[in-house]
Amino acid sequence: MASAPLYELIEVSRFFRRGPTEVRAVDDVDLVIGEGEFVAVEGPSGSGKSTLLQLLGALDRPTSGSVQFSGRALETMSDQELTDLRRDGIGFVFQQFNLIPTLTAHENVEAALASTGLHRDARRERSTEVLAQVGLAERSDHLPSRLSGGEQQRVAIARALANGPRVILADEPTGNLDSRTAADVVGLLGQLCDDEGVTVILVTHDENVARRTRRRVAMADGHVEVKSPYAPKRTAATKKRTRPLRAR
Amino acid sequence: MRHTEAVFPLTYAAHELRRRVGRTILTALGLAAGVGLVIGIVGVSDGLDQAQGKVLAPLRSVGTDVLVTRVAGAQTADQANGNGSGNGNGNGQNATNGQGGQNGTNGGQGANGGGRGGGFFGGGGGGAGIPGVDQADALALANENKSVTTDLAKLGKPGDHFVHDFFVPGTQISFPQEAVVQATKTPGVTSAVGGLSMQATHQTGTVPQIVAELQTGGEQVQQTVMPPPLTDAERQQVRACIATEGGVQGGGGGGAAGGGNAPPEPGGGGGGGLFGAGGRGRFEQCLPPRFQQYIATFTTPLRTVRQALDPPSTDIQSTPYTAAGVDPAHPDEGLITSSQVTAGRWYKTGATDEVLLNVSYANANNLKVGSDLPVNGTTFHVVGLVSPTLRGQEAGVYFPLGALQQLSGHADRVNVLLVKAKDAGSVDAVASALRKQFPGAQVVTTKDLADQVTGSLKDAKKLADQLGGILAIIVLGAAFVIAVLLTLSSVAKRVREIGTLRAIGWSKRMVVRQMLTETLGIGVLGAVLGVIVGLGALAAISALSPSLTTSQPVVPSAAASSLARIVGRTAQVTGGTTTIHLHAPVSASNLVLGMGFAIIGGLIAGAVGGWRAARLRPARALADIG
Repeated sequence: MASAPLYELIEVSRFFRRGPTEVRAVDDVDLVIGEGEFVAVEGPSGSGKSTLLQLLGALDRPTSGSVQFSGRALETMSDQELTDLRRDGIGFVFQQFNLIPTLTAHENVEAALASTGLHRDARRERSTEVLAQVGLAERSDHLPSRLSGGEQQRVAIARALANGPRVILADEPTGNLDSRTAADVVGLLGQLCDDEGVTVILVTHDENVARRTRRRVAMADGHVEVKSPYAPKRTAATKKRTRPLRAR
Repeated sequence: MRHTEAVFPLTYAAHELRRRVGRTILTALGLAAGVGLVIGIVGVSDGLDQAQGKVLAPLRSVGTDVLVTRVAGAQTADQANGNGSGNGNGNGQNATNGQGGQNGTNGGQGANGGGRGGGFFGGGGGGAGIPGVDQADALALANENKSVTTDLAKLGKPGDHFVHDFFVPGTQISFPQEAVVQATKTPGVTSAVGGLSMQATHQTGTVPQIVAELQTGGEQVQQTVMPPPLTDAERQQVRACIATEGGVQGGGGGGAAGGGNAPPEPGGGGGGGLFGAGGRGRFEQCLPPRFQQYIATFTTPLRTVRQALDPPSTDIQSTPYTAAGVDPAHPDEGLITSSQVTAGRWYKTGATDEVLLNVSYANANNLKVGSDLPVNGTTFHVVGLVSPTLRGQEAGVYFPLGALQQLSGHADRVNVLLVKAKDAGSVDAVASALRKQFPGAQVVTTKDLADQVTGSLKDAKKLADQLGGILAIIVLGAAFVIAVLLTLSSVAKRVREIGTLRAIGWSKRMVVRQMLTETLGIGVLGAVLGVIVGLGALAAISALSPSLTTSQPVVPSAAASSLARIVGRTAQVTGGTTTIHLHAPVSASNLVLGMGFAIIGGLIAGAVGGWRAARLRPARALADIG
């Protein structure tokens, strides 16, 4: 098998009960996402794309169906197992960056390493490494409030990268950025995908962002419409090439 | 690995607290207020304890466990019992109701003689009519205080200058010194010492021209005794007697008995010594003596006393002071002890002309160690200054017991017994044994005295003990609730942050630990601020030093004498109320306690906040988006 699917969603539904009505945020979704893919999930507000991302990110369990991550069914895993999975296998990037405002760029990255039992020096080393990778080596001691939106999102990406995840899940990563910075961030994510072999799944309703991914999945009313099919690609030769990426 | 892991939460917590300094300070201040108040309350409570200790310390410091006194008018269980010995020894002097026959000017001598209440404490029945004092006491008192009614004219011719010291025991009735020996023999008693406490008046002036003539005595005294039935032998005697004297109706008994001149019967005479039985019928005379006294009506002898009453025309100056008689052979126990000597020395063994002065008395009268103090013809040498602590029995001048006995006409008599028990546990047993042994006596233990402490001090103490505890709990509870609420509000504001931490792989345990670390920091800050607040509160209390009154334990004494007022010659009656200024002490344990509460408050807040944070779904990190 050249490339086993990273995610396999089988008849996944996630319903919420809101008063008397049942909200079908994700409704009977089948989806396969392969290792190393760069996928955009598109759709209007309320289409269920964020809920889908939560399911993919092991932050939530489906009401029915199965979400398989590398062959493991997330719905059957314990909280602790999900926590470990998030720590080791999944990196998150959020629309509002979700950096901890009281911590410097370095410390924000180290927060992701805090649960690994890594020694302080090793944490700092890894943090320096990933911050350099996103082009923020010089600004690593700044608090988020001293960084621009694009820089903050780079810190967030560095944090997502810290534990060497297999997938980065980005929820509207460019929603709070101007178009030029947005392009830079999407470019950075694409580069990570290309260079590191990290699967990137981003949720967006920005056509300009979606266009730059390699696969687009559209959602509406909880249903998924696969615009472009699952198409394994990539060669092993392009993987694991580490090189600092300049922002701009 | 664990410890390296812990570094990050600490850094994070430190940043978090510094960054959100407003909330940190607010929460810490809430805890600090609670802690400060608790420290304040505990401090006040400590201060009250100290104040109470200060009131009671004098009693402890003299090493006396039990005080035995006999105070007229004081309520005791045996009060009504006039102790039979007072009735005996009429000496066959059948006084008529007729008046006269006394040597009026002799009252003073009477005081030096005997004629005191019978037994150790009892007195004959009487009707002297001094309010609040029973008859037996009244008679005993009248005898005790005879010297006060000394005729000033005896001090010299009118116009002569005189200096004289009068000694009055007030309401403290004396008893023979052998009571000390008896007390010593009481089981559980280690030692007992006698003391004599006297109100004294130092008078100087010119013997006045104008004297008033007072008549005292003449009161009717009735007494009933229940004699045992006649024995067969007595019955025979009575029959024989009646046969001899039969039918002859006798008049009132004969000769007058000079009360004042009656030869004293030490320790026994009492009412009986002074008063003979009234006249009675022949039949009665045939009865054995005890039946003759079945109903005895006495009349106290009349005395005419000449004295200046409020003499406005002379320059008599009265200076009241208190005199105490101390056994020089007992430097460790007594109304004053050698440990209370602050200057000079204790009495030499067998000294009779040495006195110790209360420091305050010495200062007031410009006396010091080495000064001479002439009293009624004897020159006493001041050998030491003392700082007495036994309130109520405090005196200005401490004479050797023998010397004061002589000066006051109380040879071989004392009016205070200071008893030391074997151990604290036996005090009560000793007290009740002494009560039995000396009926009519006031037997007071130091514990009794402690229980008698009243006034605002005690109220405040009670308030601090009861309300203070409740208040502390309420305030601490409120501080904890505030800390918890602020922490919960902090958690609510950090929902996304916590969700993010969960999303990037933090376990619930780590989130809880993070919350605890942060609130622990707040608790520590609150502890420091609370200690500052608490110290401020204590300093403020001590600076204001609110005054509390305490009616100190009433050590029965001459000073508290109602007779002192009746006799009208004694020192001002010193009240039993002491004002104590509250001082709130700072104690390490108090501060540690307060800090502990602050930290506990922080941990509670952290536990609740952490629990709440851990329950947040990690998906909330994303849910807020959009």
